Amino acid sequence: MWTDEQRKRFILENEWLKHQNLDQFCVYREQGDDTYYASGTATSSSGRNYKLYVCLPSGYPNSRPSMYLTYPLSLLAYDGSKISVLGTSHYMHTLAPSSQGYVQICHWRDNRWHAGILLYKVFIKGLLWIEAYEQHLSTGKNISEFVSTMKESA
Amino acid sequence: MSMNDPQQKQMIQEAMKAIAERKPGRSKLVYDKAKRTIVAVSENSQTPRALDITADDADMFVTVTIGTDWLKKQWPNIMTAKATPISFSCWDAGDAFTQNVLGPLASPSTISGVVAVESAVVEAKEHQIKILLSRNYASAAALSSFEAPDGTIYTATAFLLRDGANQELSVSFVDVQPALDKRRVGILETDVLKDRTVLCIGLGTGGAHAVIELAKCGVGEFILIDHDRLSVGNVVRHPAGISQVGRLKVNVLRDLILEKNPDARITVLPIEVLPETSEELRQHVARANVVICATDSRPSKLLINQVCVEEDVVAVFGGAFRRAYGGQVLRVKPRNSACFQCFISAMPEESSDAEISSPEAAEAIAYSDQPVAVEPGLSMDVVPIANMVAKLALLELLEGKESSLNILKRDFAAPWYLWINRPEPKTPYAKWPPLSESSDEMTIDRWYGIELERDCGCPACGNFNDNLSAALGLNLNAMAEVPSAPMKE
Repeated sequence: MWTDEQRKRFILENEWLKHQNLDQFCVYREQGDDTYYASGTATSSSGRNYKLYVCLPSGYPNSRPSMYLTYPLSLLAYDGSKISVLGTSHYMHTLAPSSQGYVQICHWRDNRWHAGILLYKVFIKGLLWIEAYEQHLSTGKNISEFVSTMKESA
Repeated sequence: MSMNDPQQKQMIQEAMKAIAERKPGRSKLVYDKAKRTIVAVSENSQTPRALDITADDADMFVTVTIGTDWLKKQWPNIMTAKATPISFSCWDAGDAFTQNVLGPLASPSTISGVVAVESAVVEAKEHQIKILLSRNYASAAALSSFEAPDGTIYTATAFLLRDGANQELSVSFVDVQPALDKRRVGILETDVLKDRTVLCIGLGTGGAHAVIELAKCGVGEFILIDHDRLSVGNVVRHPAGISQVGRLKVNVLRDLILEKNPDARITVLPIEVLPETSEELRQHVARANVVICATDSRPSKLLINQVCVEEDVVAVFGGAFRRAYGGQVLRVKPRNSACFQCFISAMPEESSDAEISSPEAAEAIAYSDQPVAVEPGLSMDVVPIANMVAKLALLELLEGKESSLNILKRDFAAPWYLWINRPEPKTPYAKWPPLSESSDEMTIDRWYGIELERDCGCPACGNFNDNLSAALGLNLNAMAEVPSAPMKE
């Protein structure tokens, strides 16, 4: 299923994450079904912990990986509603949630993704989203107001 | 005397029937110069102020077209049974009858017929076309002449039994492929492309137009990939018409290609280009001489690019900018020129400026709560881009062949081509001078060939992994696999 180049790429993604001091995130291999994912705990500037989970699709790196926030499961908005209920939302920079209800963070759009983007940038965007989320919680302003310039520079 | 005169009406009807049957009647038709109209007069009357109307004048060019190749294949049956059935598309209320086997797109109205040699006794049926072949010891040059496999020349006469009377029809035999080849002689050697294979992925307006152009050039084999069906909204720009709505685009294009190049060998694959179908894609890429990528999604383009690079097959990527204010074409010669991944790494804005021609394309760039309007451009603005795709593909197909068109290779040496249809506001082209006022500045409606460096560290065609490991000071081959997933709690 996976090519040698893809497996090498996963090894290098881990090394690059370490190189960028983002070694709280790591690519893992599920031995049973030979699938890969990347995950780790993101700590916001306020000290709260969140878990980010990135599915690595079989077409990676040509295919865009999806990033979910798996902890806390019930991510609440300023008004107390669940963010996952919003589904795809421009204002909250989210895409369709997973079947388990995990919020999916929009990092790159499909038509902007390319194979030159490394996972560390995806996690950086995840960290930015978390900071914007906490700003949203304290101000009630939409996440898009804090990450409106979120675009690739790769 | 006027057309309301029942006797005159009757005479005109009788005279027209006599003319159609090319038989004398009691009345004849004349053009009365004084009245400036056609009238019927008695056959023997002298009409100095009128023009006699002959059968040739009245010939409404009802033509029966029959394929020579088909008839040659049927010849053993005809020699045995003395007759064989045939069917025709009936066009324009009976103005033309074209044998169905000549092309894949039949008329909604068909008519049956029979081809018989002169010695056969053939029962005429109402609304049936009867073609009689008579031995002819003269020449085979006439359109109505047919040379049998044994060299015997036959002349055909055809009749349509209508309202109990035989209407004589004009017969034309056509030898389709040689006739098509003849029209290409001079600019393109007739059979130079017959052993060449084009794989086209994406059969929207651009891809469809490009493959039809290549079919007209005589390309021998096509592999067509698209999972989509033709919708009403497509028809305004797509070469296929409203009568084809609902069909898979691969099948529509197969028929349109065969309409232009009946000998073309065509494989249709109604599949979506996804990582799951990449191995099937790879098999077809490997046997193509050139790949045309005319899809409208970034992930599919990246995958096609990757497979073409790995299989070392030249790919031509074509695309229109939003609302087709312009477009660009990228030709990728694997590991010799910039690939699509090199292009988007080097030119992220240019590579992302894509036309939104379908709801799927809009969805790819929009959040569902922020819809993006589907804003396709005009067909006339997409066609120049598709023509360039076809031309670059043609030059690749001529690789290693003798052709007068090879002179163009010096003009099409650049990897990337840019075309602007209009000075769209808020683009780098908004301030271009008017076409009519510029002689040497960049303007709309001109092609620009642009050099683009290949990225040796490209993830698709370069040494991305090696460069990255070198930057990290690592020996990639000596490194262990990534960690196993921790046990779930």
